[in-house]
Amino acid sequence: MRKIVLSICLFLFPGLLYATPAIQNEIYQARENVMPALVHIQPVIKNFQTGEMEKQAVIGSGVIFHPDGYVVTNYHVAGKAERIICTLNDKEIVPATYIGGDPMTDISVIQLDLENYTGKIHIAEFGDSDSVQVGQYVMAMGSPLSLSRSISLGVISTKDRYFSSDVRLPSGERTGRYNLWLQTDAAINPGNSGGPLVDLNGKIVGINSRAQMFANNIGFAIPINIVKRVANEVIKNGKVTRSWIGLHCQPMQDLEGYFGTNRNSGVLISSIDADSPAEHAFLKAGDIVLKVNDTPVSARFVEELPLFYNMIAQYAPGTSIALEVKRNNEVFNFNVVTKKLGDLQGEDFECKDWGFTVKAITKQMQIDNQLEDTVGVYVVGVKNIGAGDGGGLRRRDVIKKVNETEIVEFTDFTSSYNQMVLEKKEKILLTINRGGATRYVLLDISDIEGMKTDG
Amino acid sequence: MDKTVRFAFTFIFIILMSVSVQAQSFDFERLEKEFVRYSVIIDMNIEYSFGIHNNEQSERYLGTVVSEDGLVMFNGTSLSSENSIAAMTGVNVKSSAKSITVTFFDGKEYTADFIGADRFTNIGFLRLNSDDEKFPFIKFRSGNNLKVGDWVSLYMLMPEFINPQYSADIGMVSSIIETPENFHLIVGFNALQMTSVIFDGNLNPIGVLGRLNDPSQSTIDPSGMLDSFNSFGMPLLGIITADRLEKMIADPPQKGKSDRGWLGITLQALTKEMAEFWRLDLEGGIIVNDIVNNSPAFKSGLQVGDILYKVNDQPVTVSKEEEISIFQRKIAEMGPGASVEFSVIRNNEELIDSLKLIAVLEDSPMTATDAPEYDNTELEFKAREMVFADFLFNNLDDETFTGVVVSELKSGGLAQIEGLEIGDIIQRVGDATIENIDDLETVLTEAYDDKQDEIIFFIWRNQKTLFVNIKTEW
Repeated sequence: MRKIVLSICLFLFPGLLYATPAIQNEIYQARENVMPALVHIQPVIKNFQTGEMEKQAVIGSGVIFHPDGYVVTNYHVAGKAERIICTLNDKEIVPATYIGGDPMTDISVIQLDLENYTGKIHIAEFGDSDSVQVGQYVMAMGSPLSLSRSISLGVISTKDRYFSSDVRLPSGERTGRYNLWLQTDAAINPGNSGGPLVDLNGKIVGINSRAQMFANNIGFAIPINIVKRVANEVIKNGKVTRSWIGLHCQPMQDLEGYFGTNRNSGVLISSIDADSPAEHAFLKAGDIVLKVNDTPVSARFVEELPLFYNMIAQYAPGTSIALEVKRNNEVFNFNVVTKKLGDLQGEDFECKDWGFTVKAITKQMQIDNQLEDTVGVYVVGVKNIGAGDGGGLRRRDVIKKVNETEIVEFTDFTSSYNQMVLEKKEKILLTINRGGATRYVLLDISDIEGMKTDG
Repeated sequence: MDKTVRFAFTFIFIILMSVSVQAQSFDFERLEKEFVRYSVIIDMNIEYSFGIHNNEQSERYLGTVVSEDGLVMFNGTSLSSENSIAAMTGVNVKSSAKSITVTFFDGKEYTADFIGADRFTNIGFLRLNSDDEKFPFIKFRSGNNLKVGDWVSLYMLMPEFINPQYSADIGMVSSIIETPENFHLIVGFNALQMTSVIFDGNLNPIGVLGRLNDPSQSTIDPSGMLDSFNSFGMPLLGIITADRLEKMIADPPQKGKSDRGWLGITLQALTKEMAEFWRLDLEGGIIVNDIVNNSPAFKSGLQVGDILYKVNDQPVTVSKEEEISIFQRKIAEMGPGASVEFSVIRNNEELIDSLKLIAVLEDSPMTATDAPEYDNTELEFKAREMVFADFLFNNLDDETFTGVVVSELKSGGLAQIEGLEIGDIIQRVGDATIENIDDLETVLTEAYDDKQDEIIFFIWRNQKTLFVNIKTEW
């Protein structure tokens, strides 16, 4: 007996002795690979929510991944940036330009302006997020609470966290429908956003994006395999183009009996957007998609949904895709011609003299906000004291007419605004739609001017 | 002392004396004899439910018998059926009266049934259960000629351990309000004394204590009517006059039955600035923003954009948004069936026409709280019929969309655990389409009889549909 104990001790002892230095060295090594490419990002973003264009300085993190000085970060860090200042790991300050981004995966790319930079940039390497293991050591690098060049250590807590498409970015865009998330207990705080999640080989496995508030170390990163694809497309086109057919699906689990399907076969359509390609192709809620262009599909669990959504999204807009669908125990074939998933949000515009801000209405905004159509402009914010406020304009109103000018295109609105400001028009009648009802808002500019001089 | 000063003092003294003399002149001994004849103490349990939360509370009120056949009036604020939260959030805030006991001051006891509460005054009504017994009752005196400074009195209910359980109080008419409505304000009373009978100096019952609603504090409820739900802050108390009470007594408001006229428009005030902009010589008006399909407004030929400037030849003076509720109340109080003539300005391109249209008001649409409900005790949830407001707020087409609304879920109950949510609209169960609670009852009874292992609900939630599988535990 004693012999056995002794031999166990002998086996364990060297292990204990050497385990700590071994992982310590790996951490050092990984740090050396990525840390020099770490970027502290200070964008100045434009915010239109309060009824006027306000500039806000925010803080984020990023990492250089390309010899041309491309830095990947979050969309919610640099997406609305007007100007971007970066601080490299050698503490040198370098300006950067916004290249493009993708709110759906919360990824954006900026490019460092290296003209006056005398140092040599380092490039970090992307790893493979598919081969990440739960429990594996990872490090989060970035600027938590603006404390730049910080590292925290943890493990991958889970690798297939799913957030439903109801999750929104601070700027209001839906996000998360097309990806799963790596969850980690490496501390992630505000300011870590956009920074790399690094494995012990010194490869980036994810981009840190969000954390659960009031929790202990529940952070989420976008898997790097998704980032690679998105970043490449953003560098090429400024954004990611996806196909859209207007399907919403739910996991099949526990519904196989009712629908008479086999386990792990089919994706259940739960809802269909009005006036979408799927609706035009006569697909219905309750239909089960068995194959997409002859490739079998299934989603028994929510975690499998992004794969299916991505499969549809990857086709070029305008492609006809063949769906094999099970309905009432019969199998039918449907051809759906995809449309481009347009911008989630339209272009912003500040009506400075009228005291409010508006946005062009995209198809996705129409769906999200239950608007009748995409005609008109959407009121984003109304300034506390201003002509809009005085006339009773509210957020979420849709402006349909400015005096007698019908607003069809966004430019109809911007040009009539500019013209009326130029003509110094004092009274302007807006015809708006609020929750389906037509209302009138009279803007009295003279009044506001009067208030200004009185004050 | 200067003569004028002395004179002033004397003058003030005389005024003070006269006031106190008047105040003291109430013959409470005589009043009390009257009061105890037709006054009652009401004990009832009220069940409140807020979505998945339920609780029952016992309440005591002072009541007044107002008719020979045992109609009793009391403060029905807790039982007023109105609430706009129900349709907007799907959460059904409800209160219902249970086990009502009414005791006269001579000790006689009766059971009673709750009839309803008036939504504008929150005055509630009960009827005593008896076999053709004739009760002593109050007779209100209409047409008071009270002046500012006149004193009035009332009785209030005292705590249970005190005997007698009533106590007198006096107040003073502090102002006679003209707008938003004719109303005698009174100081000296408090909100707990609401619906107590007010007596003038001659001991005539001239009304009950009520409150003046601030139109700007009122929100529009789903049926487009005034909502007295959220008058926060210091209540402005005063007299609900006898003539208003007589109408209610003659035809008491009934729970679940509308007595309000409904036009079916969304409206906006014609502000001075707008009238000027359109070059209209009007003090005010109502701009029609939206018209409900097949509503009285729709049938009358009203159009979106029309400006109503006269109702039954009386000018509409609404010129601020916060005054809209006054207009709404006037329409509502005309009652269903009333024929109303609107003078309308219609802006036809360049041509401005003035025309007259007649609308016959209808019953205001049922509120979510009043909608018939079905209680399934096995799955532990309740569902109610869809009401007008559900269609309106959720942007649903009332001609093609059908379903019933999940109105209550028992916390930890099967329906809740398996994923139903309050506000979900059940459109199908299995393959059966659900159009009303009877459909739901039929299909769920069948499921129960067949001991089905699972029930598949197809529901509408937040503009999307989905399936919910409830695995049963019969």
